[in-house]
Amino acid sequence: MSRVQLTLALARKDWRLFWADRRAALLCFVVPVLLAATFGAIFHRPASGANPRLPVVVVVEDGGPFTRQVANEVLASQRLDAREASRAEAAAQVAERRAVAVVLPAGFERLKLWEPGSTQERPELVLLHHPNATGERQWCEGAVQELVMKCVARETFGASDRESAPPFKVAAEAVSPYPRTQFNSYSHSFCGMSIQYLLFWGMESGLLLLRERRRGAWARLRAAAVPLSCVIAGKALATGSVALLQVLVTFGVGYVAFGVTIGGSLVGFVLLACAACALAAATGLLVAALGASEARARSVSVLLILGVSMLGGLWVPAFLLPGWARDVSLALPTTWAMRGLETVTWQGGGLGAALPSAAAVAGFALALLAVAALRLRLTERAIREGRV
Amino acid sequence: MPLPVALSLIDVSVYYGARAALERVSLDVRRGEIVGLLGPNGSGKSTTLAVAAGVLDPATGAVTVEGRARGVDPAAFARRVGLVPQEPALYDELTALDNLRFFGELYGLAGTELRRRAARALARVKLSDRARDRVGTFSGGLKQRLNLAAALLHDPPVLLLDEPTAALDPASRDALFADLARFRDDGHAVLLTTHHIDEAESGCDRVAVLETGKLVACGAPGELLRPRAAERAVLYGHLRARPPRYLERAIRHRLAPGAALEITGRRLRLSADTSEDLGLALALLLAEGVELEAYRTPAGALERALREPTEQTEPTPC
Repeated sequence: MSRVQLTLALARKDWRLFWADRRAALLCFVVPVLLAATFGAIFHRPASGANPRLPVVVVVEDGGPFTRQVANEVLASQRLDAREASRAEAAAQVAERRAVAVVLPAGFERLKLWEPGSTQERPELVLLHHPNATGERQWCEGAVQELVMKCVARETFGASDRESAPPFKVAAEAVSPYPRTQFNSYSHSFCGMSIQYLLFWGMESGLLLLRERRRGAWARLRAAAVPLSCVIAGKALATGSVALLQVLVTFGVGYVAFGVTIGGSLVGFVLLACAACALAAATGLLVAALGASEARARSVSVLLILGVSMLGGLWVPAFLLPGWARDVSLALPTTWAMRGLETVTWQGGGLGAALPSAAAVAGFALALLAVAALRLRLTERAIREGRV
Repeated sequence: MPLPVALSLIDVSVYYGARAALERVSLDVRRGEIVGLLGPNGSGKSTTLAVAAGVLDPATGAVTVEGRARGVDPAAFARRVGLVPQEPALYDELTALDNLRFFGELYGLAGTELRRRAARALARVKLSDRARDRVGTFSGGLKQRLNLAAALLHDPPVLLLDEPTAALDPASRDALFADLARFRDDGHAVLLTTHHIDEAESGCDRVAVLETGKLVACGAPGELLRPRAAERAVLYGHLRARPPRYLERAIRHRLAPGAALEITGRRLRLSADTSEDLGLALALLLAEGVELEAYRTPAGALERALREPTEQTEPTPC
């Protein structure tokens, strides 16, 4: 029997074993879709162009008309989602990180009497914020300062709304290789969860091989003089084909239900999907080659997969990670797989843009495969020679 | 005229690290005979079988099947050997037929030929009606039969069985030996391991006794069963259920001096200095409610060979 036929026989056996447990097989496709949908929903922002508004609670503790005017400006701001409340209610909201509180304390009304060059003690405006909400606090401070200064300009100089507006315009520009495209949280999460679950499937496939090697079935393979290269190729083929099916199902559901589209090169997408599936297969073989026992191999693999998923930007966009994490992540295959898939999906990149990522992922897969094959060969030799 | 030698182990030694698992073992198995490898745990039986199956390389010596060494042509060697591992080497998740298809494909079988051979192998072990059932639903006995069928699929001249009766009840064991006798009569060479003397005596044409990796005795069971005056009386039995440990201890405590009771799983070995003491021990056992499904009392020469280490230094060829 030729090596190709042997390889196909081994792959068919793994394919049958995969489908033998229908429920487990089904979960293999359902779980990444569910997680991707959940992550997508969490990070989803309406695509209408409306800017997100910061939740703010306004506490008015001074009964003066100027203070009321400032409070009304804050409440009416288009940049803030503001409402008025008592200080106790505001503190409770802040403690839960639901809002930033703007407190206009007693004595705030004195601001109305301010004049340029005045040396009098300045009245205070208090911002209450959650300890971890420094960004929101700065956002709120900027917006409130502008509104207060507008009221002061009106009160002190009798300026109209037009005159009290900032004397310049802000021109914001998105700098990206694909500036016309908008970040799509569902595209991101479907790319991320697909890659993560390819790795998990690779791990499961590797654990199956570990189990097989402990069962007598492996002795039969040895007795049948099946070359190790066929075992490795058969396992890689079976793992890779299931992985490819997983990609198709995940992105298929993403397209139908969540509007995830391949906005760029379809060929690039196929190349990246194949490279990612090869990575899953290589991961599985590495788990089987290095795993001493199933329990230990599972624990270590889960930890590593979650680690490379997080650092590779599979959970949250890489641009949210700190700089050092982004530097480290360049050495991870997940980073390149994610970059590539994002390029050809929501960023609308062409084949040329996808090729470096696809090549990087394929390179990582080949390297892992080589390590796994070497290790399995050494182990088999040791077993044959009675050293294990 | 004796049939040709199918399997030959020539001066085979195997080392696990510094420990010698087999030392200069030489053994021939001819077509049309069943040879039993007998010995206590750790004597090297399974190692001998692993070397014969080609899954373990000997440190020294050679193994040939019908004149072919594994090192020269592994595939040709493998096609001539059928291995039945001790634990059923099957995929519980697949059906019996799918298991056979897969193992058949490993030996180059395909298409109609594979289907025909799988059907024939299932028929030979009387499992045709369970072909499409998942192996996970099989009893231990049925799994062992399918295990055997998987080894027969490519019709190898040499069949190697590692403790094939370990998980079988007496009826399944008898059925297995009846199958093996048929294969022998069809011209297969059968080498099996066991540490049950009664099986070796009743089911094998020749017996090779291994002890700490050395072949210490070899011959037909009849030759080894020379009556000796000083033999201990021995009874082998198969229990309906293993008695609780406390009961086992209590019975042992009440046995006559010189009598001994050993229970391994559902297997029992009762021995005494005289047949009277053995009868008393058996009566005590039955009085305590221990139920025996079957028992037999072999003559005892093999027992002696196993229990009394020989002083010989030169290996015994077999």
